Amino acid sequence: MRPENYQPVEHPASQEYELYFGPNHPGIEGNYALKVRLTGDEIVGIRADGGYLHRGFEKIMEDRLWIQNVALVPRICVPDPPPMEETYARAVEMIGGLEVPERAKWIRAMILEMSRICGHLFILGGTAAPIGQYSNMFWGVADRDYFLDLFEALTGARVYHMFITPGGVRRDIPDGFLDKLSHILDYLEARLPEYDDLFFNNPVFHKRAEGIGIITQEQALAWGVTGPNLRACGLALDVRRDDPYLIYDKLEFDIPTETSGDVLARTMVRRSEIIESIKILRQIIQHLPQIKGPIRCNLPNPLAWNLPEGDAYARTEAQKGELAFYAVSTGGAKPWRVHVRGPSSMHAVQVLEKLCLGGRIEDIALIMFSLDACPPEVDR
Amino acid sequence: MSNQQLPEILAAVFREIPNLVFTEQTARRLRVELRPDTLPALLELLKGRAGYLHLSAISCVDWPELDEFELVYHLWSYEVKTLVSAHIYIPKNPGRYVSVYDIFTPAAFFERDIHEMFGVYFEGSPDMERFILTEWTGPPPMLKSFSSLGYVEETFKWEQYSPDWLKEIQANGGGIVE
Amino acid sequence: MTTNIPITSDPNTDIACRTPDMQERSLLRKVIDRIADRCRSRSLFILHYCTGCGAIELPPTITSRFDSERLGIQPMVTPRQADILLITGYLSVKTLKRVILTYEQMSAPKYVVGMGSCTINGGMYWHSYATIKRLQEYLPVDMYMAGCMPRPEAIQQGFLQLIDNIDKGKAIAWQDYYQQYDKYLANQQALFGPDWHTPTDVIAEARHYELFTEKTTGEHTALLAKYASKYVTLQHEEHEEIVK
Repeated sequence: MRPENYQPVEHPASQEYELYFGPNHPGIEGNYALKVRLTGDEIVGIRADGGYLHRGFEKIMEDRLWIQNVALVPRICVPDPPPMEETYARAVEMIGGLEVPERAKWIRAMILEMSRICGHLFILGGTAAPIGQYSNMFWGVADRDYFLDLFEALTGARVYHMFITPGGVRRDIPDGFLDKLSHILDYLEARLPEYDDLFFNNPVFHKRAEGIGIITQEQALAWGVTGPNLRACGLALDVRRDDPYLIYDKLEFDIPTETSGDVLARTMVRRSEIIESIKILRQIIQHLPQIKGPIRCNLPNPLAWNLPEGDAYARTEAQKGELAFYAVSTGGAKPWRVHVRGPSSMHAVQVLEKLCLGGRIEDIALIMFSLDACPPEVDR
Repeated sequence: MSNQQLPEILAAVFREIPNLVFTEQTARRLRVELRPDTLPALLELLKGRAGYLHLSAISCVDWPELDEFELVYHLWSYEVKTLVSAHIYIPKNPGRYVSVYDIFTPAAFFERDIHEMFGVYFEGSPDMERFILTEWTGPPPMLKSFSSLGYVEETFKWEQYSPDWLKEIQANGGGIVE
Repeated sequence: MTTNIPITSDPNTDIACRTPDMQERSLLRKVIDRIADRCRSRSLFILHYCTGCGAIELPPTITSRFDSERLGIQPMVTPRQADILLITGYLSVKTLKRVILTYEQMSAPKYVVGMGSCTINGGMYWHSYATIKRLQEYLPVDMYMAGCMPRPEAIQQGFLQLIDNIDKGKAIAWQDYYQQYDKYLANQQALFGPDWHTPTDVIAEARHYELFTEKTTGEHTALLAKYASKYVTLQHEEHEEIVK
């Protein structure tokens, strides 16, 4: 019903209309907005509008001690926090010249891979939701909860663990944890065929996803696409393989690729990465009990911990792509500057705009979820 | 570090640029310092000859004592597998530099980000409009001269937290450690 | 033979024909409100607006594992049909504007739940220039859930408490927004500047719900006068003249 004080606004006669897609829209991953210009169903102009989740991380990190920032960094990316802790910790270790004990490296890699599975399950559920396949979303969220329970047993928190600290990890794994993890991995592996029947081999999904939002190899390299989105174009590039950190040079794993570079390919790459992560976790379960030793190197009093002068650029393969922290120290107790290169800072803004252009309005949500655009780490 | 340890393909590129100083920080990390006017040439050469296709990030650091901004271009090569961080210093006044968008497309996002957070203007960048701080009226927040806590104290109201139980503890010599 | 239908009711004495007086009417209203509150508390819709970190714990809460639907709580995509505005974490100033617009579009009774420490006092981001510190200065809050972030069990406990409050008629913060609109508007203007205005006519709604008090208008609502031609309530008499 029109309010009594309604005043019609005069618009020039035009075929085009403007639509605000978000910030409050169930098809958008997080609080993000797209201003879309349309003719009928076709998108003729699109502009991303971020900043709704801006917290000024880079600024408030400069006001806190090096060790205090450990609590702050996981909050940069909500669905996939452990890579943030790991990358920040590694940047600090590179500046301070700290040597991480072997056992801590294995525990860290275990957490990163568990988090990768969590994030993929969450986003695969998200990809199914905009095309109306809610069962997959319910399954994905429920299976992710098993891993959150494992995180809780390990770290005491479900989402933000703050477990990886500069120099190691906070504590050792509890008794019987690896058995529980192994049990959940078996469960998930047995569950994947059911996911195939429900979602990955579903003809409805194939019809919707094939040929939508195509990125070619040349475009992917030119636009700076990273992570599963790059591998969906047929390029087997992975920071874990190219620029190995922790123990990834000792592990055996494949880099799954697809060739078509569309929504379907990106979804299938995520499915294969879950299998690869299960493989990596099985190797860790096998090797971790043999590796003895401390879980943390000796740190000075954290309240008066002055890192030497220097800078470092740490890179990690996060669930969404390449994550990097650039940290600068001037020899003080607080960072002089920390720059966060969010994994989706490329594909959530420029690439999303380019892919949606010329497409249809109902595909925006699907493309956004298939790219795994994460607004909190774009806004920081 | 001598030029022999460096991959020949990189050494050849570095020889072309005058006044270039490089150090190896850790494995696969090269820190390069050069004059601002030679940076676009270095990026072009790295991309064309050494396969540096991936611009990982552009970072900006504010140095108020030098009155300069430091711009750091992090480049990764999928072939050489070494990260080159090219450091340049530009004067804070007028705080302008040339965009590298025509060499690396991802630069547009980072330059836009630096423009709104530090106020550096990049000539030739396709889009210098604000992205995150569209409704912000203050100075560029990442400058060291801007105090976040100071802004918070004058903008937002604080509630003094002093319940009775805390007053009792404080009367006995305890309390919250500041 | 004719039969006379006996007249048993006299309009002056029969209760069915009499207009109830004010006391009786307020009593009746209390009974109806009590029933309505009971019904409302049994079916609540959360506005689907993910504002912060806390949004990541909502899918487990709502889907199969913790299943909020058994409490009668479901997400809803439009503000007009929603009952609960769940602020799931920190609010940047830019988002707060959208949240206030959304809140004013919701139909009363409406309940605001602040979830996470950031809505209480700024939490982790207490010295961030971009986020607001205390939500209750800008919107009337019915309940806070502490934690960074609260677990699904905590969220459900909060929901149960909210249901109980609504049932008992205690969740009446939304009335405060109408009764003290000037105070809330003052805080909003302090943050967004004196030009801040929303298309919703809060003062007219306050009159409609009979919640208009002397604190509804004041020096800050007076600043809205320059947008009067567009949005804001005219004086009551002027308004009626225009309608005529």
